[in-house]
Amino acid sequence: MQTSGIYTIASKDIVFESFDGEAVVLDLTSGKYFGFSDSGSRLWDALSSGVPAAELAGVVTGAGPLSATDIDGFVSQLLEFGLLAPVSDAPAQPLSGTLLAQLADTTEPLKVDIHDDLADLIVVDPIHEVEEPLGWPAVKQAT
Amino acid sequence: MPKVNLDNLADYARYVLAQAERCSANFPLTRAVRLPALTLTTRLGPGGLADAVVDGFIAARDDDAPADACRIFVAHPGINGIAAPESWGNALFTQHGFATRLAEAGLRGNHYHDLDFWQFYDPERRVGVQLMTAQDSFPPWEPGAPLRPFLHWEYAARGMRLAHAGSLGIGGKGVLLAGSGGAGKSGTVVAGLLNGLDSVGDDYVLIDLSGGVTAHPLFSTLKQDPEGFRRLGLKERLGSHGPLNWQGKYQFRVDDIATRPTPSRLDMIALMVPQISGGEASSIMPVSRKDAMIALAPSGIAQMPGERESGFRFFSDLTRRLPCYRLSLGTRPDEIAGTIADFITRGGP
Repeated sequence: MQTSGIYTIASKDIVFESFDGEAVVLDLTSGKYFGFSDSGSRLWDALSSGVPAAELAGVVTGAGPLSATDIDGFVSQLLEFGLLAPVSDAPAQPLSGTLLAQLADTTEPLKVDIHDDLADLIVVDPIHEVEEPLGWPAVKQAT
Repeated sequence: MPKVNLDNLADYARYVLAQAERCSANFPLTRAVRLPALTLTTRLGPGGLADAVVDGFIAARDDDAPADACRIFVAHPGINGIAAPESWGNALFTQHGFATRLAEAGLRGNHYHDLDFWQFYDPERRVGVQLMTAQDSFPPWEPGAPLRPFLHWEYAARGMRLAHAGSLGIGGKGVLLAGSGGAGKSGTVVAGLLNGLDSVGDDYVLIDLSGGVTAHPLFSTLKQDPEGFRRLGLKERLGSHGPLNWQGKYQFRVDDIATRPTPSRLDMIALMVPQISGGEASSIMPVSRKDAMIALAPSGIAQMPGERESGFRFFSDLTRRLPCYRLSLGTRPDEIAGTIADFITRGGP
């Protein structure tokens, strides 16, 4: 069960920016990008700042209240992607009224998309031409 | 010297830089070109890059700004005093780890394993070396955008950035076209150039955020795959053309098709994400900044070695400064160009 936990950003190589309330996260080590839906962005804000996952169950979003299963699935994804890591000794942070209101204003379901077509394992050049199934560093042959 | 690994990487970089400077007089050719706020002097031998390091650039005209001097040595063992490049050892290689280790030593670098091809740069002294096994032993993309990593490192050090983006403009104002390969950037740029618009690049432009968002030209090369070449009427327009390049594309120069000299800058008013729609007419609709950022930043950062976090912050800043749109491309080049020209002239959709 993930929802009892407190999490933090997995490493200093995970960096993020927010655009009109939608987060884009970059893993500097792998070169993978992650784009969050509006509700996913708010949950990312909450979880990465130390709000316990358990506190988010039942919170109302534009798409309805979040269930423990929703939260669990989302947290599992973020752990799998290496964006969050559990912490055992950090103080729990409260969910702010501002964030609650922002969650209520969201319109999209919880979602995080991975953009890894240019991540390091398959990028050899520079100029976006690789044989993806072969992996790095197989250069795409001209056709 | 043992094979290169993360522990001796900075030492190897310093050795390669010192070796080239020590042998400076042995490089047969010197090529210099004036770029935005930079005089780039390349010392090299004859061969495939000798022309590219001049012809591959758009020289900065009317640039009265003080220019810093940047020296790049294109070195190989055929030049007296230059030792053969070392190979990377068995240690795990990651782009980020490689760049981070060099950055800790105040250096920048890039390595292409297949050719034992190294690029090292000292941004403080503005000296760089491209070390190859032989004079033409460089990756096939190198002549199309010569010395690109060095320019990336040099301009990044002064807060500017090479963006993987196309550009079109009119009357000194323009739009940036963002998207990975195949998104339609190059075809859109050529369509615009053939129909009276300006461009400062179809694949890479130099971005300065110090006074609004301005884009400057660096590279003179344009590319089109055979289908685009035919669709845009380039075969008739160019008369003759060279063979397909390593990507299976025709390569030509911006001044082969532009109706005016390339402007020294365009003041950007929007960030556009082109999309091949299949529809008859082009249209321009708002797109979220998040989607525009994901269209702009990943390829720009992946294609430029090192400086990842600063690049992420830079492109985030750029994306916030401009309104963002999706450009659905119609089928006729003149109609696409007209749609963009109308947008720029009106200052919006």
